[in-house]
Amino acid sequence: MSSSPELAVSTAGAATPAVRVREVTHVYGNGSAAVTAVGPIDLTVPAGSVLVLVGASGCGKSTLLRLVAGFERPSTGTVRVAGEPPRPGHSAGLVFQQPRLLPWRSVGGNVALALRYAGVPQQERARRVPELLTRVGLRDVARRRVWEISGGQQQRVALARALAVEHPLLLLDEPFAALDALTRERLQEDFRRVTAETGRTCVFVTHSVDEAVFLGSRVVVLTSRPGRVALDLDIDLPRTGVEPDELRGLPEYAALRATIGHAVRSAAV
Amino acid sequence: MTAAPTIARPANPGSRRGRGLALRLGAIAVLLVLWQLTATVMRNPTFIPYPEAVWDRLIETSTTHDGVRGYSGHLLIEHLGVSLRRILIGSVIGVAGGLLLGVVMGTVGWIRVVTEPVVTFVRALPPLAYFSLFIIWFGIDEAPKLWLLSIAALPPVAVATASAVQGAPATLVEAVRALGAGRWQVTRDVVLPQALPEIFTGIRLAVGIAYSSVVAAETVNGVPGIGGMVRDAQRYSQTDVVVLGLFAIGLSGLAIDALLRTAEKRLIPWRGRA
Ligand SMILES: Nc1ncnc2c1ncn2[C@@H]1O[C@H](COP(=O)(O)OP(=O)(O)OP(=O)(O)O)[C@@H](O)[C@H]1O
Ligand SMILES: [Mg+2]
Repeated sequence: MSSSPELAVSTAGAATPAVRVREVTHVYGNGSAAVTAVGPIDLTVPAGSVLVLVGASGCGKSTLLRLVAGFERPSTGTVRVAGEPPRPGHSAGLVFQQPRLLPWRSVGGNVALALRYAGVPQQERARRVPELLTRVGLRDVARRRVWEISGGQQQRVALARALAVEHPLLLLDEPFAALDALTRERLQEDFRRVTAETGRTCVFVTHSVDEAVFLGSRVVVLTSRPGRVALDLDIDLPRTGVEPDELRGLPEYAALRATIGHAVRSAAV
Repeated sequence: MTAAPTIARPANPGSRRGRGLALRLGAIAVLLVLWQLTATVMRNPTFIPYPEAVWDRLIETSTTHDGVRGYSGHLLIEHLGVSLRRILIGSVIGVAGGLLLGVVMGTVGWIRVVTEPVVTFVRALPPLAYFSLFIIWFGIDEAPKLWLLSIAALPPVAVATASAVQGAPATLVEAVRALGAGRWQVTRDVVLPQALPEIFTGIRLAVGIAYSSVVAAETVNGVPGIGGMVRDAQRYSQTDVVVLGLFAIGLSGLAIDALLRTAEKRLIPWRGRA
């Protein structure tokens, strides 16, 4: 059911894991209105891995991510990021499920703000904003108003904004859910390549089994509310030196998809 | 085929604006006719002056005739200018104070608890009620009038600002905190900008209150000033001048509100989109 502890040790060595979630439960509200959204759950994410969380709607994926980001405190148990209690804005970069852009700033201004908080000087900001927007496939939108671009474009701006600050840990909540198939594939491929090259630790939430297999070095399937680990699977696919189409054509790929798809379906009931 | 043009017509902004204008002009014409009719039926110009008489007064008070300059030695435009200047200064002081107080009230809990009843108390008072106090304290010249307008303009801005600052959406506050924003950055980049639409509504209210208070403030030593002019006219039963003064205040009020609304559209293009 859960991943072999030997494997976590083999990838992380003796180093502190990037994320450690121990016996965590999270309860929203109190009294008769109390809702247990998550747990009890144990998860260890070694540095350099890409953990993908899959689960039905409402199973607590966003809550788990918010716990790791430090926006929620666990009702019981502990959350550690690089050995410390998480602090919003300091422990990890975060892409929310909704774009959450500031409407009083232009598209470019939203990205520039993140750079400004990171202490990047003004001139360099002007250079890096278009660079970051291009990275998520957006051109000539920097001066536009936030409500003048589409929902998918807004989500990509939010992604660019989160990428502006290079935290060793990146948390992403369904960042590609609102995109057309073509753009999604492009960004998935880009994401896969960049994570493999930089070794940045990521926790990635998605509904899509295919996306999970394609992006993850490890996939965790959560049960429906309260979210617990239903399946914890390492993805032993080559991370570099393989074309995306080639990868998707591998028999192991199809097998992993089937296993995870089955787990998602049985966890949802 | 036939449906398309009928659907398209209301969407045409030019014709819609044209219709709005025609509607307003029509309404004004109807009111004028009703006024003329009532005046004719009443046959008592001290009670209801003829529109024509008010028009004559407008010309008379706007020019020097027989060596007399305007009304009480000042042209109508000068009376209006002095009143507008008082409104401007009073509103600026009141709005600035209200903003400051509102931000503090919205962010510091115990200050809100202490000041909220005081602000509500002052807000409930008719400005004339504390005007007498200001006259005792500050004499009868400019000072008590400016104090009155400032104090009258402050509460709506303070209340609007405090509630807007408190109501900052958690989603956006979290968004910038996730990027590493500290307390001050959250205030500067989220709390204040998102409060602007509500603050602006408070400002428009405040200017409106300053407007309605100025005539009251100018009943004491108010010449030059529209309020002073109206008061003198009332003493001599010059009803046409009273009506003229009312028009001057009301129409300039409309113009100022239109100005504020334009400024609002410019400054807050995201209004209704957040
Ligand atoms: N602020 C809150 N107050 C009360 N209950 C909440 C709150 N946020 C989430 N919940 C509840 O907690 C559960 C988990 O919510 P969460 O947003 O983590 O789900 P999710 O797995 O991210 O779903 P989705 O895939 O639809 O985004 C849901 O049942 C939800 O109703
Ligand atoms: Mg979610």
